[in-house]
Amino acid sequence: MAYNSKSPWVIHYDASSCNGCDIEVLAALCPGFDVERFGIINTGNPKHADIFLVTGSVNEQNIKVVQEIYDQMLEPKAVVACGICACSGGVFHDCYNVLGGVDKAIPVDVYVPGCAVRPEAIIDGVVQAIGILDEKAKAMAQQKKGA
Amino acid sequence: MTTLATVLGIIAFAIAGPIIGCLLAGLDRIISARMQGRVGPPLLQPYYDVRKLFSKENASVNTSEHAYILFAFIFTLVAGGVFFSGGNLLLSVFLVTLSSLLFIVAAYSTRSPYSEVGAARETLQAMAYEPMLYLMCVAFFMASGWFDVAGVFFLDAPAITTAWLAFLGFLFVLTIKLRKSPFDISMSHHAHQEIVRGVTTEMSGPTLGLVEVMHWCENVLFMGWVAMFFIWSNPLSIILAIVVVLAVYFLEIWIDNNFARVKWQLMLKSAWLVALVAGGLNVAVLAYL
Amino acid sequence: MELIASLIVVPVVAALLLLVIKNDRARDVIGVAFAALIAVLSIAFAVVFAGTGPVDYSVTPNLENLLSLVSLAIDLVVAAFIVCYAVRYKRPLALGLAIVQILFALWIEFFAPRTKPLWLGTDLTTAVHVDALGVIMVLIIGIVGSGICVYALGYMKDFQAHELHENPQAKDRRPWFFALMFAFLSAMFIIVLADNMTWMYTAWEVTTLCSFLLIGFTKTEEAINNAFRQIVMNMLGGIAFQVAIILLASFRVPLMFTYFIQFASSQPYVVLLPTVLLAFAGMTKAAQIPFHTWLLGAMVAPTPTSALLHSSTMVKAGVFLLVKLSPVFAACLPASVMVILVGGFTFLFCSLLAISQSNAKRVLAYSTIANLGLITACAGVGTPEAVWAAILLIIFHAVAKSLLFLCVGTAEHHIGSRNIEDMDLLFERMPRLARFMMLGIMCMFVAPFGMLIAKWATLVSFVETGNVALIILLAFGSAATFMFWAKWLGKLSGIAGEPQNVELTVHKTEWVALLLMAGLVCVTCVLLPLMSSGLVVPYVEEVFGVSGQGIDDDNLWIAAICAVAIILMLFAGLGRSSKQKKVDVYLAGASADNMARTFRGSMSQPVAATSRNMYLDNIFGETRITPIASAICTLVMVAGIALGLAWLVIAFMNLFV
Repeated sequence: MAYNSKSPWVIHYDASSCNGCDIEVLAALCPGFDVERFGIINTGNPKHADIFLVTGSVNEQNIKVVQEIYDQMLEPKAVVACGICACSGGVFHDCYNVLGGVDKAIPVDVYVPGCAVRPEAIIDGVVQAIGILDEKAKAMAQQKKGA
Repeated sequence: MTTLATVLGIIAFAIAGPIIGCLLAGLDRIISARMQGRVGPPLLQPYYDVRKLFSKENASVNTSEHAYILFAFIFTLVAGGVFFSGGNLLLSVFLVTLSSLLFIVAAYSTRSPYSEVGAARETLQAMAYEPMLYLMCVAFFMASGWFDVAGVFFLDAPAITTAWLAFLGFLFVLTIKLRKSPFDISMSHHAHQEIVRGVTTEMSGPTLGLVEVMHWCENVLFMGWVAMFFIWSNPLSIILAIVVVLAVYFLEIWIDNNFARVKWQLMLKSAWLVALVAGGLNVAVLAYL
Repeated sequence: MELIASLIVVPVVAALLLLVIKNDRARDVIGVAFAALIAVLSIAFAVVFAGTGPVDYSVTPNLENLLSLVSLAIDLVVAAFIVCYAVRYKRPLALGLAIVQILFALWIEFFAPRTKPLWLGTDLTTAVHVDALGVIMVLIIGIVGSGICVYALGYMKDFQAHELHENPQAKDRRPWFFALMFAFLSAMFIIVLADNMTWMYTAWEVTTLCSFLLIGFTKTEEAINNAFRQIVMNMLGGIAFQVAIILLASFRVPLMFTYFIQFASSQPYVVLLPTVLLAFAGMTKAAQIPFHTWLLGAMVAPTPTSALLHSSTMVKAGVFLLVKLSPVFAACLPASVMVILVGGFTFLFCSLLAISQSNAKRVLAYSTIANLGLITACAGVGTPEAVWAAILLIIFHAVAKSLLFLCVGTAEHHIGSRNIEDMDLLFERMPRLARFMMLGIMCMFVAPFGMLIAKWATLVSFVETGNVALIILLAFGSAATFMFWAKWLGKLSGIAGEPQNVELTVHKTEWVALLLMAGLVCVTCVLLPLMSSGLVVPYVEEVFGVSGQGIDDDNLWIAAICAVAIILMLFAGLGRSSKQKKVDVYLAGASADNMARTFRGSMSQPVAATSRNMYLDNIFGETRITPIASAICTLVMVAGIALGLAWLVIAFMNLFV
């Protein structure tokens, strides 16, 4: 099942952050890097997406949103936490309403640190996520066969 | 006899339609990328996408959506089969309309706010392009003397010679049918818009894959409608028709990349005006002169 | 002949019986029995006459005189009724028109010269003329009409319960209602079978009166106003009919409809004015713009009335007359142009107007008028292909529209509204009813169902006659049709949450009627090719000598197979549990209660995500379109009649030169 790695569609959600990583993610998706070469498309819809790119930390307000978007993505799916806030809460980690990194809300597959995270690092993270996606697809196919 | 030909046509179209449509879609993405100064995805990218969609989890928001999409797909195949087996042009147009109706109802049935907005706009789009489609068929009939598409092979001169105005009008609404900007108001191929993904917001995995394949087939059928204007008894005309089809497809991509989306009011008014002027005038000239 | 007599008499007997019966159970039994009897009789009639070609029946002069007196008596009773109502509610216009009608009727009976046609010998006149179109109409009236009567049995129970709830002293006027419904059927049978034009006229006026009484049934101020609007408009048509009869009599043309058609087809300009006047009468009854307001007003009546008026009776009498006249239109350009333009514009404008309506019955009414317009235009074109299409339109419109009205009536009683926006989620709340409604809607506008096949034939016939104006009107009108049906269909199809199923309390008689109509829709759509060759083509061949079927049998069969597929999808494919995982809809990640489509809004409060359909009121609103449409159509009608009159005057003056 190599098709998952050939067309990883991405959804991007910006949790609570300074918007620096947010801008970097969009920069990575802009024509200059031409990620469509690898079949990567930025969808605005969790139902169509394979990879969830989250920037910023999770707080009381948006934890449900992050979880709901994750839940609405179909298997196989992978999560990439972009930037140090998404990984651990970053400089905001002891704010009164911040819960911490994205892994406080949903399982994270790839951590991409940086403040702000650089486009090259994001692309690298996505490529790693693609590998995980393939593994998950394989596991799913086996499960289907077994069932 | 005709029924048998139609059945064979449907089978042939069910095989060839997706293949050609997939290649066209891949070409579209590469050309678009080049127009934006990018390299773009491989030619088979649409195929990879659809294969991935079919391998994903099978989920749906209700028990009806998939059935509507399945029947929409089947009727697209029937429409294509009727057309490419040389059958009745009007029947093929009506079946495409049926297919787009089922697509709309599938979106409505989810009762999701984004899908509903997309479906409402899709309905408006259908209303905008329908008159021109009817008039295109009528002009084609008047120019060629046939509603049966197979009739073009008996013509001394292609239909375009007398129905060029209606053909131009058809090209205008073709932009709506191909969901190209500036008329991609019900669902766009580009991300981040106010209605998420419009009609297809709730369609996911295999259902979305089926929608993609259906659109490929539709595109091939529409290109067939373009081609029929350029074919006459000379067998070489088929080559001419293919060249024209490619040129038209390129033109649509060019339009897609160069125009911003318009509001529905402008779409409706301009499409109806074009239908009235280009279609009406052409039909009137053919009827009275 | 006995069969024909019983077709006419049985509904009258039923009407009289139901007038005196006050008991609910007895009414149910008798109503169902007589409806079944009428349906069986009409099927028997069809079996006997379907393959025979045109059959004429004569009656002895004595009997004819007697029947003519009876017909005059009915005329006078009808007019007296109208006079009474007009006096009671102080409507001078209706009063004046009724008095004019009385005078004309008396003049026709006692002073008009009677001419016997030469080709029939001396004494004989045909009283009844049965042709294939008559058979089709009898089937529509007998099956669809009596089906609606059965439906009304259950519906009126709910209606009466509602009345009593509002006003405990309300009188039970249901016997009157049912008597009118059955009397209506009898009058319709006479219209489609009688050859004697004065009898036809009598039945014509009886339908006008019956619908007047049915529309005014609730006696609210609105109902009375609308009823009077109906009767004034239709009496104008009736008077036009009478004037046509008087003119024909004074031209020494025998007052037999078949003879008139033959005569007029060969010498159209001699009888231009009567032709135009008959067309005018047909168009008033078929509710063409500017007379469409009576049909819109008629929806104040209980729903079975609307169903009856819209599908199998009343308006169908109008288009029946026009279709019968189509060979005359083919020969007579001025009359043809008038009918074509009025019909074509009515189709376009009413389709556009329907977009702006959210009241389900009003949408249905506009759609009815639009389709009648299309039938009218086809009749006006008068070629075999156009007549074939017109007859198919009549058949499919009758079955689909009655199904839709009955569905809306039942939905209204169970969800408490006839607004399309309130029919949200009907697919879950009334699963069977919603599917019937969806079937009806799809039959009205989309391939491969009957109405669209008929429209297809219409387009072909317009193209072949080079009628550019009609082609354009049809193209734009059809696009509008798509819009207003598709958005209604979308509303019905919505699925969200698990709302309560409210259709368990629907009366059994209502289900029977609904099933009958849905079955008819399926059967007529799937067996369209057979119906065409068995019923429609024979009539067109009788009249024109060619088959007139504008679409190949192969294509009809392809469409029929597709229709089977859609029916399977609706009743077997949708809503079945599948292996698919159920997921929530996308609410931007902020769902509060996803099933109820609420999301967390600002201040973290749950907000419901709702959407309304587009009605485009500022483009297609009634206030914008109706004046333009009425002006155009009135102008066309006035011009047509003026032309006819001018022709008559010129011919008259030529006599003295």
